[in-house]
Amino acid sequence: MPSVTDEAVIIGLGETSVGKLPGLSSVQIQAMAVHDALRSCGLSIRDVDGLINLDPYSFPDSMFATTLAEYLGLKPSFCATVDVGGTVTGMTMLQQAIWAINSGHCHTAVCVYGENSLTGRPPGAHGYQLQNLLGGEEWEEPFGLQGMVSMYALLTQRYFHDYGADEADLGAIAVSTREHALQNPNAMMKKPMTLEDHRQSRMICSPLRLLDCSLVADGGGALVLTSAANARRLGARMVRMRSFAMRMTHNTVAQMPDIEELGMRDAGRDAYEAAGIGPEDLDMAQLHDAFTISALVTIDALGFCEPGGAGDYIRTGATAPGGKCPVNTHGGLLSQAHVGGMLHLVEAVRQLRGEAGRRQVPDARLALVSGNGGIFSICGVAILERV
Amino acid sequence: MEAILAILPNPTKETAPFWEGCNRSELLLSACEDCAQVFYYPRLYCPNCGSEKLAWRASAGRGTLYSFTHVGVSFYGPTWESQIPYTLVLLDLDEGPRMLSRLVGPDRDKVQIGDRVRVEFVEFEKQKLPYFSIARE
Repeated sequence: MPSVTDEAVIIGLGETSVGKLPGLSSVQIQAMAVHDALRSCGLSIRDVDGLINLDPYSFPDSMFATTLAEYLGLKPSFCATVDVGGTVTGMTMLQQAIWAINSGHCHTAVCVYGENSLTGRPPGAHGYQLQNLLGGEEWEEPFGLQGMVSMYALLTQRYFHDYGADEADLGAIAVSTREHALQNPNAMMKKPMTLEDHRQSRMICSPLRLLDCSLVADGGGALVLTSAANARRLGARMVRMRSFAMRMTHNTVAQMPDIEELGMRDAGRDAYEAAGIGPEDLDMAQLHDAFTISALVTIDALGFCEPGGAGDYIRTGATAPGGKCPVNTHGGLLSQAHVGGMLHLVEAVRQLRGEAGRRQVPDARLALVSGNGGIFSICGVAILERV
Repeated sequence: MEAILAILPNPTKETAPFWEGCNRSELLLSACEDCAQVFYYPRLYCPNCGSEKLAWRASAGRGTLYSFTHVGVSFYGPTWESQIPYTLVLLDLDEGPRMLSRLVGPDRDKVQIGDRVRVEFVEFEKQKLPYFSIARE
């Protein structure tokens, strides 16, 4: 059973400004997120003996945890850079921190990710600039595949075919997500969006339009974990990761299985089973939304509706602010910022601590966070709970 | 035929026969001699059973379209503007494996999922590439 809950708990969260942070390197952005997270729970770098991060996707950089530890002035007893894929990486950081704390390798750990992927990319570049294509270069580049959006466009076209879905379904989640973003002062998108705005936006890779795509952004997020005993001694607000499951099915888009065989369904089932809950028990869900189609596939796979029913489900209002299970209460990757999905986890923790201000979900106890890396290549589902 | 631009592969020892096959207008798949799995792309070990006893098998070059996208933005800078829009496809070869390729031909803007496609080798800088076109069968 892929349960990870035991003694270690999340006690702090940090988030930098998002959007354009000119003049800041990725290590500086991660350092800012770490300090912000430590301030949130009254700790300092002197209290940290565990550090887990991810190096920048746009400029892969080896030994990035030691780079950051030195920059911060840390000498941790547990230090690791993990790269699992997309938001699954953030969940895996938490899992590693919990294991490290529970087994005595460290007492207080910070998990952090951030980079300058917007101001750091080459002038005139479109989309997220990757230095590689998930290792599939030889079987992708000769055919003209570059950029994540074309892979998700292939998935979208097939989703339309399999379920009779259309661009109004994509637009539904884009609009719902924008409504959330308007409640978040740290969101890049500040203006309301209509279905018509979505339908009129520029075609990027058919059938995906500009407003189906997430926001390349500078920014960072961090979470602090320690033992439950230490957390009680500090009088900290506690959130625990009640379960976490992942499933990998493929890597490159050429090896992608049919939609209902993607790993999100199995990861979700395992995470629900380990936590002893179902989708009806959730107070909110922070779902991977690098593209609108990601959220639709995930809503289907996690049992919020029948396969192909995500568009209708969204149109009931369930995912919007005040809905029965609000989705991406911070505005998600689509309308807040794409910071590797780390801010999905930060937002879930913020909500469960009751610190989300005007967008607070009332009496939030249980949050689901989903992630996928690549093109649903690896999928992860975490269930977080207020202690 | 439109003037094609392509990023050429950097073959390894194990994949060079595939690209050499393309230059002979042969689409080569890998076949496992132990479990009979036919797979693409070529690897040192069978991804089904782990066997190293692998052979090359020529595909008939026919398949069914699984999905497609018309790429409307150049991700390779201004030199690729001439290619826009071009069409990427996922297709299921009749021998089984799924493959990513590029669709060529004058009628590619009318492509539909489920269309039959056939391989069409397109040469760029002395390397033939296994692109596909809609088959009129």
